[in-house]
Amino acid sequence: MLFSSISFLYYFIPAVVVFYFISPKGLKNTVLLVSSLFFYGWGEPKYLIFMLTAIIQGYFFGILIEKYHDGSWSKFFLTVSILISLGLLGYCKYADFFLTNFNAITGSSIPLLHIALPIGISFYTFQILSYTIDVYRREVTAQKNLINLAAYITMFPQLIAGPIVRYSDIAIQLEHRTHSLSNAAMGIRRFLIGLSKKVLIANVIGELAAISKSPNESSVLFVWMYAIANVLQIYFDFSGYSDMAIGLGKLFGFQFLENFNYPYISNSITEFWRRWHISLGSWFRDYLYIPLGGSRVSKWKWIRNLFLVWMVTGLWHGAAWNFVLWGLLFAILLIIEKLWLLKHLEKLKLLRHFYVLLFIIVSFILFEASSIEDAFSVIRAMFGASNLPLITVESIYYLKSYALLLIISIIGATPLPSKLFHLAETYPTSEHIVNTLEPICLVLLLAVNTAFLIDGSFNPFLYFRF
Amino acid sequence: MQTKLKNILTVCITAAFLFGFSLWGILKPDLAVSTMERRPLTQFPNATIHTILNGSFMSDFENYTLDQFPLRDQFRMVKAATSFFVFQQKDSNDMYIKQGYASKLDYPIHEDSISYACSRFRFLYDTYMADKNVNVYLSIIPDKNYFLAQPNGYPSIDYEVFIKKFQEQMDYANYIDILPLLELSDYYRTDSHWRQENILDVAHLLASEMGVTVSANYTPIKLEQPFYGVYQSVLPLRADDLYYLEQDLFKNCRMYDYESETFIPIYDLNKAKSADPYELFLSGSKSLLSIENPMATSDKELIVFRDSFGSSLIPLLVEGYSKITAVDIRYLSPHVLGNFIEFNNQDILFLYNTSVLNNSITLK
Repeated sequence: MLFSSISFLYYFIPAVVVFYFISPKGLKNTVLLVSSLFFYGWGEPKYLIFMLTAIIQGYFFGILIEKYHDGSWSKFFLTVSILISLGLLGYCKYADFFLTNFNAITGSSIPLLHIALPIGISFYTFQILSYTIDVYRREVTAQKNLINLAAYITMFPQLIAGPIVRYSDIAIQLEHRTHSLSNAAMGIRRFLIGLSKKVLIANVIGELAAISKSPNESSVLFVWMYAIANVLQIYFDFSGYSDMAIGLGKLFGFQFLENFNYPYISNSITEFWRRWHISLGSWFRDYLYIPLGGSRVSKWKWIRNLFLVWMVTGLWHGAAWNFVLWGLLFAILLIIEKLWLLKHLEKLKLLRHFYVLLFIIVSFILFEASSIEDAFSVIRAMFGASNLPLITVESIYYLKSYALLLIISIIGATPLPSKLFHLAETYPTSEHIVNTLEPICLVLLLAVNTAFLIDGSFNPFLYFRF
Repeated sequence: MQTKLKNILTVCITAAFLFGFSLWGILKPDLAVSTMERRPLTQFPNATIHTILNGSFMSDFENYTLDQFPLRDQFRMVKAATSFFVFQQKDSNDMYIKQGYASKLDYPIHEDSISYACSRFRFLYDTYMADKNVNVYLSIIPDKNYFLAQPNGYPSIDYEVFIKKFQEQMDYANYIDILPLLELSDYYRTDSHWRQENILDVAHLLASEMGVTVSANYTPIKLEQPFYGVYQSVLPLRADDLYYLEQDLFKNCRMYDYESETFIPIYDLNKAKSADPYELFLSGSKSLLSIENPMATSDKELIVFRDSFGSSLIPLLVEGYSKITAVDIRYLSPHVLGNFIEFNNQDILFLYNTSVLNNSITLK
């Protein structure tokens, strides 16, 4: 089930809210668990088995790791738990990728498994990994209540698109959280903003990306429109989903950490990764990069660590070589920045922003491409190496048709709207107007989102494959 | 205090909206068809263990919620209005409104579609007409984009090139150019079709090019009910008036429908009350019809290969022919045509709209 669907907005959420708030405190996590399993099973009932297996092993190994903390068994149980988690992920996500490459290298023809990727498996696997590792590191105590642990792992607001919520961040909230009118109002506001980012901007800009990628008559302008629409769609889609998750979490009394912080205003790639998919970046930092030695090793080991982490980051996003290349591109850029470029960038105020955006655009072409060849053909065309006409009548038409939306999206990707709203909210003369208009505007946004959902079947969700 | 009030309002209004539409959706009876979109609406899916396990129940339920949502048509209007007036987009789902007329983008020229249409027409010619005493004509009706698209900055096909391609590939047919006779006002504002009351000159030209005379005076009769065409779903447009041209000579004509094997009226006024009132002309989608006119000004016969544009034009040619056969190869395979029509000593007219020819997959 998608957040941006009529069935979720008008059937699932009203039912869950009613059951959740009429339930006694001791049953709220059970309501969350049951509704999350329903939410997950709605799309792919057969894949519940993978998730339940992952949860049960995480639960038992968490307890065993804690019980045998003082001996070597603890490490053994952690290793087994990690192997099971990664084994499930590997089987579902990477088996065919491995077999394809094995066949290509050896000339063999082992048949592929053709396993459809269970939704959200990369997210919940990482949550379980962080839980068992944190128990092993004694950063959290093992959760003895299976329902509480299962409610944390399956929690529908963050189940299929993150943010990757660590157990340590919400362990206390699982048992003691407060529900308030202000939290509910803030949650609704955040959810509706996220829904609008997804439905009104990402989906519509996505139409432009689709048209521009396969036009009737291609042109350099079309290729650039595709490249720009692509980065905007990915940002508004993903950050919109994170906003909705954070908003829903608030409604149910949880405080999830922020996942995006206006990444496109970054002045370096290093800064970009501090602002983009923050929960994933920090997960890899804490559970892979630092255990490998981080930057407190020799230069060559540090470079090795970065390549390894970013190759895995690429693979986490998808089992294909273009994702690996995407990760490695960032590894190279980060190494160049840390070794040399970062200090020079400080002096080049406008140029550094141009540099960051250019590489982000190129990287997301790699990210979205169906193959490496496909990505390079787009990149070649962007820079005029494909003998395409500069413009066509069609490309001018679509540029005009989407111009305002592109401008809105670009401005919306900066902190400017938020700052202006905050200013109006706190300015003495406009405070009253803003406070009165906000609830009306929010419900109007809900109505317009509903209208867009009803009108079109064009509602792809980009993050299913993770 | 103000913040608290704002929070109360935010929670209450949003909850009222969500719960209100949720309950409305559950309690209201399901609709069978969408009159605006002229299609059946998805009904509540069957829930069985099989459909639940394979996920088809869930996907069908998603479609059901979209199709049966309360005020669905109004919400779709809100979407179109947002696209046009807020986002300043030039079209919504490829549909646009300019100069008070709604139209749908049809761009670019689909070469494969042209080739396919020509191959179907060539099959008809080679199979039934090549060695017969028939005169073959071709006339192509431009869609509304011919008048609306380019002047308003919308991409459109090059109509000259488009028609030339047909002329070249249908070298067995004499082309009759009706473009100079047409203008935007000859079409409905809310529908793709042309107005019968405005195409008498087209009928005169076609008839004279084929060697017959038509000069009858017709009485335009206006339908009582407003006509909302196929593009009405773009935005609430002012309804069109639908006229049909009546003539005493039609009283002596007999129109035979080969599908139902019955005689039916040239203008079916019951269809005027249906979801698509344009179907009153020759009863809409009919694969094979013949109209016999014992009072014709000649004893010539005409066979028209046509689409829905032909439905409103053919009655205006009846005066000049003792028999007109209207064939729609979207609904009848050309392979079986010989079972119904003997091709000899007739005028043959291929009369098609550019939209059908540029999307000719529907031709059999």
